[in-house]
Amino acid sequence: MARSLAHTIYKRIAALPSAGSSASGSFYQGILRFSTTVPSDPDTHEDFRPTSKIENSGVSLKEIVEQDVKENPVMIYMKGVPDLPRCGFSALAVRVLNEYNVPLSARNILEDPELKTAVKSFSHWPTFPQIFINGEFVGGSDIILNMHQTGELKEKLKEIAEKQK
Amino acid sequence: MASRTLISRATRIKTKLETALQAAVLEIEDVSYQHAGHAAMRGIEGGANETHFNVRIVSSKFEGQNLVKRHRMVYDLLSDELQSGLHALSITAKTPKEAGVGVGTEKE
Repeated sequence: MARSLAHTIYKRIAALPSAGSSASGSFYQGILRFSTTVPSDPDTHEDFRPTSKIENSGVSLKEIVEQDVKENPVMIYMKGVPDLPRCGFSALAVRVLNEYNVPLSARNILEDPELKTAVKSFSHWPTFPQIFINGEFVGGSDIILNMHQTGELKEKLKEIAEKQK
Repeated sequence: MASRTLISRATRIKTKLETALQAAVLEIEDVSYQHAGHAAMRGIEGGANETHFNVRIVSSKFEGQNLVKRHRMVYDLLSDELQSGLHALSITAKTPKEAGVGVGTEKE
């Protein structure tokens, strides 16, 4: 029960700051314990998949990505989720972005190899995380950290942060 | 003494970048061990081997290019490696001017 619920949460876009993140923490840990076979989860019963797999919505994955970056001012494609990144680079990017009081939208590419491929070809960038701000591809963790250090990121996120107030 | 018969990935990366970017500074550090427990690294035979590198490049070819373009230049040069198990690069890409090298200011 907890697993299928956790799955639903995982597959959906994770928006931060999320209410009750401490409660969902236990789900994440559940996932962590079970999913030693990332990216695919062969234990998951087929019945659970159709409702959550995004390519079943009738839109192509490229369109999903286009829509993601258009509708979400700060969009990150990462390994894991913001509350529980599964890679040091993704963790670093989330940590940097969390400094700015902006809503962070995320998709976990470990959950969906096809989405991973779609994002790579969309941005012409081979690695993750990948960050988009106001629809523009800004790079991976090295670049976001660099922009943080130079003040460029603050400038870029200013308007988005102001809307949050 | 595990002698390797194949040229290491680090050496290949170095050669490829050196040739194409005529780098004034080129440092490559294999940090794969830091990612050995990484989710995506499990199941790879022999554990994480030559999958993660820190690369520091100073090249005048980066002049006038933003960071995304600089990183893309590096990724493009290493696309074969990325397709054959290279998992991630941490890239520092600077022009000689930004790095302050080449004009007698080199420190150490």
